[in-house]
Amino acid sequence: MARRWAGVLRSPLGASAAVLVAAILVLAVLAPLLWTDAATATDTARISQGASAEHWAGTDSLGRDIFARVLVATSLSVRLALAATAIGVVVGLLLGTAPLLVGRRAGRLVTAVVNIAVAFPGLLLALFFAVIFGVGATGALFALGLAIAPAFARLTQTTTARVAGLDYVAAARIAGVGRFRVLFRHVLPNVAEPLVVNATVAAGSALLAFAGLSFLGLGVQPPDYDWGRLLGEGLGAIYLHPAAALAPGVAVVLAGLAFNLFGEALAKVLGERRPLERPVRRTAAEPAPDDSAMLVVEDLRVAFPGVEPVRGVGFAMDRGDAVGIVGESGSGKSLTALAVSRLVDESGEVRAERLSFLGADLRAGPHRRLLGTSLAMVFQDPMTSFNPTMRIGRQLAEVACEHQGLGRAAALDRAVDRLDAVRIPEPARRAAQYPHEFSGGMRQRAMIGMGLMGSPALIVADEPTTALDVTVQRRVLSLLADIRAADDVALLLISHDVTVVEQVCDRVLVMYAGRIVEDLPSAELRSRARHPYTRALLAAVPDMTTDRSLPLAVIPGRPADPAHLPTGCAFAPRCPLADERCTATEPDLVADDAGRRVACWHADIPVEVRA
Amino acid sequence: MRELRFDDVTVHFGSRRRGVTAVDGVDLTVPAGTVVGLVGESGSGKSTLARAAVGLAPLSGGRILLDGEPVPRRGRRPLRMVFQDPYSSLNPRMTTGASIAEALPRRTADRRAEVARLLDLVGLAAEQAGRYPGELSGGQRQRIALARALAGEPEVIIADEITSALDVSIQGTVLNLVRDLQRRMGLTILFISHDLAVVRYVSDVLAVMYRGRIVESGPAEQVLADPQDPYTRDLLDAVAAPVHSGHQADRGRNP
Repeated sequence: MARRWAGVLRSPLGASAAVLVAAILVLAVLAPLLWTDAATATDTARISQGASAEHWAGTDSLGRDIFARVLVATSLSVRLALAATAIGVVVGLLLGTAPLLVGRRAGRLVTAVVNIAVAFPGLLLALFFAVIFGVGATGALFALGLAIAPAFARLTQTTTARVAGLDYVAAARIAGVGRFRVLFRHVLPNVAEPLVVNATVAAGSALLAFAGLSFLGLGVQPPDYDWGRLLGEGLGAIYLHPAAALAPGVAVVLAGLAFNLFGEALAKVLGERRPLERPVRRTAAEPAPDDSAMLVVEDLRVAFPGVEPVRGVGFAMDRGDAVGIVGESGSGKSLTALAVSRLVDESGEVRAERLSFLGADLRAGPHRRLLGTSLAMVFQDPMTSFNPTMRIGRQLAEVACEHQGLGRAAALDRAVDRLDAVRIPEPARRAAQYPHEFSGGMRQRAMIGMGLMGSPALIVADEPTTALDVTVQRRVLSLLADIRAADDVALLLISHDVTVVEQVCDRVLVMYAGRIVEDLPSAELRSRARHPYTRALLAAVPDMTTDRSLPLAVIPGRPADPAHLPTGCAFAPRCPLADERCTATEPDLVADDAGRRVACWHADIPVEVRA
Repeated sequence: MRELRFDDVTVHFGSRRRGVTAVDGVDLTVPAGTVVGLVGESGSGKSTLARAAVGLAPLSGGRILLDGEPVPRRGRRPLRMVFQDPYSSLNPRMTTGASIAEALPRRTADRRAEVARLLDLVGLAAEQAGRYPGELSGGQRQRIALARALAGEPEVIIADEITSALDVSIQGTVLNLVRDLQRRMGLTILFISHDLAVVRYVSDVLAVMYRGRIVESGPAEQVLADPQDPYTRDLLDAVAAPVHSGHQADRGRNP
């Protein structure tokens, strides 16, 4: 946290915000002590004069120095603004957290009241309350405070409702933790960030609004004075000596700016943690001619600032191949798929010895048309991969309009045809529906249908069935298998589930810590896997024949963290066979005569001996 | 340890006419000291049933009984729940020790020692009590969640998809832990999962839920060897046979 503060304070925004706020707070404390005499000393000889060397902002109708008055007014202006904010925040918090505390029915009533109050503009509410509470500083203070409250209450309600729905709150409730403790211990600390930021910005607005009320004569009354009051007094003679009105005006602007900037800076300190590093430029190499396989990947590396999650992956695929990549989270399997489809984030750097698809070098140029028509991508979450506000048919048709230059009607016809191809019943009716009207399995099929709008040579499916139920999963997988068989389309299937890959693919690539550790035909996965990780992975997953009387085989330790890889083999810390050689040097991926590849120093120890 | 019984439980969300009936007249008994596995697809109502048991979902009909006594709907419950997502089930601003201690009964004398004992029970060192969830892996967090559920010796534990957010190499460790704790402490557990192989591994009794109803239940081996309900057969087919192209039987079936 301290480091983030330092980082933000060093930025231009943070530095200016901090300096301004500090200056205003210091002034608010010191000015009344230093300049009260100067600000109240009447000088009948110099009434309503313009700016001069002696009086920088001139004098008022009683001959008092306006600049001194502006400085002294800082205290009252800031105090009133902060007090109004405090009232607003407290009332807002009470209203906003009420639904959590008072039970469902009363909570709904409070919410409704807040919703109605939010509909009125803040300044209108302030004027309304100011009239009710009467003219004067106290009245204006409460008026402004109550005007801030609804928006703050609304924000509190929304943010607390989100946190209150989380499982740790449910767990606390089940354990019998009281509602006040739930609120103070579990809910408020986790919503503090947006609330604090919002309160700071609200203080800036309160300052402006208070100046406005005083200017209108509804706020501070003489003989007291704040910036708004001074502004009102100076405005009458603005054409004669403008400094009298400008000085308090500048003060209001500066102070308001200070609070708002401080709010922004605070948001940066407390807000979401995002890496601040600059994106690394992608390397573009000379396009190399390629004639062999459909997809060739050699020594593929994907790096983000400070971490290299994919460290030299190589494989090749031909038309009609089905290759599966298996691995745990952090193994780099999804990034490999994204790199092949050229979808890695801006901040990631993709390098490869070779990365060619259908003869085109993917490292050079965007290849939008080629990838748009010949490569289809299916993602894990069918809920978020469609635009919820567009009809399914239109979204599919968009692909054809964009890449194949079809007209609207022709594209829509093709979309309906493709929906039929992925076995969606009544495709014409379905095409006119929105994504939310589709079930998860249907949406995933429509996603595959979108990939089929072109004539894909390769379908890259990244955990396509993880979000689906087993019975639906099976239908989606068999659909992929059918498409592959019918059109000689290659399939690159990424999954954490060995069983899924085994069911669908001919070849399995097992990834660990950014490298392929084993590559073998899926038919030999259970019988002839040689890498200890592959074997452990197979043993760790229970299937329908697992012996219930024995504990499951486990892999000790936790999956390798790409940011902190050990020297030597990345799996060595969890491997029962590891020796000095394993912890010293990383084994290469070595191919045998049959084309199976494995990266392990102990790959030659027969399987039976190890068990 | 006690017996948990769902007696004609119905949970209905929304208004009477337009709402959704998530759980529809479920009768299910979790006998004392056994593990009952509940399988079903997403949306079948199995999580709602679990939430109803601990009073997080409103009952529209029926009763949930613990040894014949209705389960209290508020205050400290004799049942505990372990949630699916170990990332949202622990308060990121509380140390793991504080999270566990909060679930202890008020009268607990030496809270620190009790937290250490619970951590030891789930195979974690006592030093872990001072760490924040952000510093722990998914598997470690799930162990903390288990330790919290065991705090104050609950009578029944409801485990809702507790391994589905974990990596496969970690899943085994957590399943072994559940199995081991259940045997050592004789816990009564309702174990919910969409993964038939996982449920089969931990459960004595199997119940299959489909569209808000229990369509089949009985001893695990019996249900798996001789499924009576078409949906159970579907489920078994889905995990057993390999996928080939040309499964015309799949055609036209509405998911």
